[in-house]
Amino acid sequence: MKIFLNTILVGLSGGAIYSLMSLALVLVWRSTRVVNFAAAGQAILSTYIGYEAMNRMHNYWLSLPIAVLAGALISAIVEAAIMRPLAKRSAGTVVESIAPVIATLGVLGGIRSLAGLIWGNSFVQYTSPLSSKGYTIGSTTIPFSPQNAAIVIGALIVMVIFAAIFTFTRLGLALRAASFQPEIARLSGVRVDRIRTIGWAFAGAAGAVAGALVTPTTYLSPNSLDLLLVSGFVAAVIGGLESLVGAVVGGLVLGVGFAVILQYIGTSVTFSAAFIILIIVLLIRPQGIFGRRSGREA
Amino acid sequence: MKLNSPKRRFVLSCIIGALLLLLSGHVDELRSYQGAQVAIFAIAISSIVLLTGYSGQISLGHGALMAVGGYAAVLAQIHLHLPYPITFLVGSAVGALAGFLLGMAAARLRGPYLAGTTLALAVGLPSLANQFHLLGGEQGLSFDVGSAPSWAGKDFSQYRWFFCVAIVVSLVIFWLLRNLLSTRYGRRWRALRANPTAAALAGIDVSGAKVLAFTLSSSVAGLAGSLFAMLLGLVAPLAFTLSLSFTLITGAVLAGVTNLGGSLVGAAVLVAIPELSNAVASHFGGSEKVTANLPGVITSVLLIATVLLVPQGPKFPKYPSLKSLRSHKH
Repeated sequence: MKIFLNTILVGLSGGAIYSLMSLALVLVWRSTRVVNFAAAGQAILSTYIGYEAMNRMHNYWLSLPIAVLAGALISAIVEAAIMRPLAKRSAGTVVESIAPVIATLGVLGGIRSLAGLIWGNSFVQYTSPLSSKGYTIGSTTIPFSPQNAAIVIGALIVMVIFAAIFTFTRLGLALRAASFQPEIARLSGVRVDRIRTIGWAFAGAAGAVAGALVTPTTYLSPNSLDLLLVSGFVAAVIGGLESLVGAVVGGLVLGVGFAVILQYIGTSVTFSAAFIILIIVLLIRPQGIFGRRSGREA
Repeated sequence: MKLNSPKRRFVLSCIIGALLLLLSGHVDELRSYQGAQVAIFAIAISSIVLLTGYSGQISLGHGALMAVGGYAAVLAQIHLHLPYPITFLVGSAVGALAGFLLGMAAARLRGPYLAGTTLALAVGLPSLANQFHLLGGEQGLSFDVGSAPSWAGKDFSQYRWFFCVAIVVSLVIFWLLRNLLSTRYGRRWRALRANPTAAALAGIDVSGAKVLAFTLSSSVAGLAGSLFAMLLGLVAPLAFTLSLSFTLITGAVLAGVTNLGGSLVGAAVLVAIPELSNAVASHFGGSEKVTANLPGVITSVLLIATVLLVPQGPKFPKYPSLKSLRSHKH
């Protein structure tokens, strides 16, 4: 029972990270109908920027907002400089559905190589002042560490801020309108292009938080977030790819699922587990928990 | 003789093949190696052209399917002691089987779901090798095709031999694919890509055609994987990374996704990039960081520039109009 509770706790911490990455993917999917495979690349770059900031200022907590701002900015640039012109150029051609996916792959590859060019391919440590050693309760040490707690709290803060923006602000309303009915939103005076860029910036910020929070528990290298990208995608599919709540729930479900698999089957299956879970979800409930049936074909 | 008939293409392939094989005697080892690399990449890219350019499905996981083919070929040699030409066929057949299974799932999925699923495959599959002792773990398994037969002469180098094998296989594959794509199957796929609903209304079995495309494409990818294993002399998880899948997509985009002949151009560019970037890097006194990553930067910039500037592929805007579809004889 104690092992099981530990597993759940660790799973929630991992799941919080997947939720953030999943949010990053869903926000972009809702606003532009593109699965942004570059999300992992953007998060890598913003995390490296956070790492540089920490090297200068020697303070992890100050480097966090810098990483998040950088993430938002990078994402907005990718949208405005590459994705928007691409959508206009490829509209109506046969490659309309393929070109954006390929462009995001190009950005992912480009950022990974660029990061390697600047910081090298070997691992670096982006450490947080919090211990990654588990809490000790009584005489037993559980695997849930202060850094894990920070991950859960950080993810919660991001989600609350997002929920508040989407529900209570004019900007949130415009974001929802622009993704729901772009034409009508445009007619009602919403500047859809600009709103889309803002949507991408939010997504970049979510990805940056994920990268900056998870990296202290592992290491940083140009491809250290590849698996997070896949997990985030699986989480988004579980959640239905359309729903922000679904993205969060999907991430938590996946996190706990992973933790259970690691605990009871072994650590060697991590990479394949994401693929197997994805196939199972697509076979059983392709529209996800919160998605409508037609969502899959869109 | 009819222009562009299968027979004519066969003669043309034979001539090109003979010329290339003659030429291989006059270049050094490195060029032979790169020539073989171009031939193998061309095969792998043609499998993406078949899948994405013709049937309109996207796969980010063809590197993983190459791994399937490569491992199958090596295992067939180690455990069944089959001669190497047969192991290539085994690699191709097992690749086809994997592609059939994936295609069954893929036919139900569209756009983002298919892209994500194949991406998960590309990330997940190569690491499977670490879990099974049979697959040799991180070090992988070695693959020995042997040197050139004795009648070829004593000074026939190893890489020249690989080059010859790769060229012969790739010409056969290109000849087969070219002919296949001008049959009714090729037309069905193009109709499918242009408009799935219209294709279904015209009586085309949409999911059947999609699964067939995925299966054939994977068998070609599996074959490319076994040739790749021959060239490297081994199969290992690190040879079939996510980057390999991206590289293939880049090659296909540079080739102008719908152009089979373009895959040769794409492959040549892919092989030339590291060479060029090494020259640039050493010119600027590049460190290891630069030499390791500059090719990736150049490839990505090329990829982005290509989709952005010429979304339909460089100067091959040969999409089938209704008229051209109709004018084909049935």
